[in-house]
Amino acid sequence: MLDYETQRRIELFLFEEARLLDNRQFQEWLKLYEPQGIYWMPSQPGQTDPLNVASIVYEDHAILAIRVQRLLEARALVLTPMPFTTHLVGNVEAEETADGEFKVGAAFICVEHQAETQKVYSGRHTYQLTRHNDSFRIKMKRVALVNCDGVHTPMALPL
Amino acid sequence: MDHHVEQPSLSSDEIRSLVRPDHVHRRAYADAAVFQLEQERIFSRLWIYVAHESQLKNGGDFVRTRLAGYEIVVTRHTDGKIYVLQNRCPHRGARICMADGGNAKVFSCPYHAWSFRSDGTLDSVPHRKSYPDTFSFDDPQNHMQRIGQVASYRGFVFATLSRNPAPLIEHLGPMTEVIDNLVDRAPDGEVEIASSSFTLEYRGNWKLHLENAADIFHPSFVHNSSVQPARRAPANASILDQDQTREMLLANGFGTAEWESIQLNGLPGGHAFMNNIYNKGVLVGQDTDPVAARYRAVLTAKHGAERTASILGMNRFNNIIYPNLVINAQYQQMRVTVPVSVDRTLLHVHCFRLKGAPDEIFHRAVRFLTTLGSPMSMIFSDDMEMLERCQQGLEKDVGPWIDISRGFGMERHGRDGSVSGPASEMPMRVQFKAWVDYLTAEAA
Repeated sequence: MLDYETQRRIELFLFEEARLLDNRQFQEWLKLYEPQGIYWMPSQPGQTDPLNVASIVYEDHAILAIRVQRLLEARALVLTPMPFTTHLVGNVEAEETADGEFKVGAAFICVEHQAETQKVYSGRHTYQLTRHNDSFRIKMKRVALVNCDGVHTPMALPL
Repeated sequence: MDHHVEQPSLSSDEIRSLVRPDHVHRRAYADAAVFQLEQERIFSRLWIYVAHESQLKNGGDFVRTRLAGYEIVVTRHTDGKIYVLQNRCPHRGARICMADGGNAKVFSCPYHAWSFRSDGTLDSVPHRKSYPDTFSFDDPQNHMQRIGQVASYRGFVFATLSRNPAPLIEHLGPMTEVIDNLVDRAPDGEVEIASSSFTLEYRGNWKLHLENAADIFHPSFVHNSSVQPARRAPANASILDQDQTREMLLANGFGTAEWESIQLNGLPGGHAFMNNIYNKGVLVGQDTDPVAARYRAVLTAKHGAERTASILGMNRFNNIIYPNLVINAQYQQMRVTVPVSVDRTLLHVHCFRLKGAPDEIFHRAVRFLTTLGSPMSMIFSDDMEMLERCQQGLEKDVGPWIDISRGFGMERHGRDGSVSGPASEMPMRVQFKAWVDYLTAEAA
């Protein structure tokens, strides 16, 4: 089991990420990722293969940077009006792996409100975190939606 | 089903009055009675794509989908034949199959355990002795209903509820070329539908998607929010996809000359396609691309250089097989439209594996599917937003006519139908001409 302080710092890191998304500070959000960090949202339950199986999102820092630009400056149609979100992260369980990194599991709920519509997303985050100064960086974030293989309407913002 | 109407259908004159040569009445998109007639005369009478044979390899394999107003299971029975069965128990009317697909020895109704073979026939009922003497296992009334007829074209399975349909090949017309091209791109002469796919839903009429797929005027506006960031982004920065995502985003920002060279084609029956859109990088198979070179070599070994060049040279985009199929052969992509109600549509988005091609070719098809077909697509999510806004606008009963006049009278006749430049709304006019013909045709 991790010591209390490291566990707590990891939780605060996840809360920071959620807050940056809710505040639409997408560039700051992207800075939480390693230069080759990956954001992965599978399309199938238990999916392990991002090459032979389609993903809802499978993007590294370079592609995420394009996505963030689109969110910030270019004002995608799907983002007009810009949605408001509440990203909630809980049930955080972290362990240190042999290479000095951290494997973190957490449950999430995100409520997204846009114009006349309110949507709820939920599922499980799995992170690979590396140490970075006094904080952490995301090497991989896997977002497993409970309805990943279901019927989807357009999804606007990262979870 | 939402908006269901049980009332006399619209007269042919009423239908004709909704379409002018260069305008369409909002009721074509927003009137539930029109939708009902479309279900009866388009989605029940035409050949509708329902499955791919690679999903139905063995006896007991099945796919669950929709055909007109019915939920159906498309099955491969042990006799080797494909059946289209209504997914409803003849006993109490319950839906039987809830899985999207798979293999089943029998379909068993969970309510009172009537069981059916994959050709729909009744296999067993519990407490047989309490049924009347007249109850027969052979009586089709006691079977999962076989609805419609089935025909395949090179692995693509179509069904129709029409009792006396024209042959499938006649309905497909010259559009067989795009199915041929997709299959011919596989060195082993066979394609396999990928196990993963997306199902997207938009709150809009089904025709809006087909019109959007035939419209190359909107990308400069609708997709500007992904074109601009992709232009500013450095090339080859991604470690994942050899720049494929960035190139796909860039491709919607056409140069004038590039855009002007696009040709639109509208065919009898409402089919349409356009030529060449993506013409850079890994999507094109440049000579400098080692994967493309290996793939070309395998295909050449099979077909020879000349035929290979002809197969790989076909560069048509958004091949629309009216009324529910959009195929992009060169990227092994397919979208299937499923109308749910007048203002609600599902899109199944698939990709294919070319059997015998290098694995990386399939990885690119999967990547294409993710980039364009995912609900978080930086491209298609904006298209869907526009389809929904059109529906919202069309539901208002003010200013009933909308415009499809761009390029009117400027199209010319080609080998298979009308041909126009990229600015024309000719494909929409062609689709609506066919739409009126189908909706006003005598009973089939």
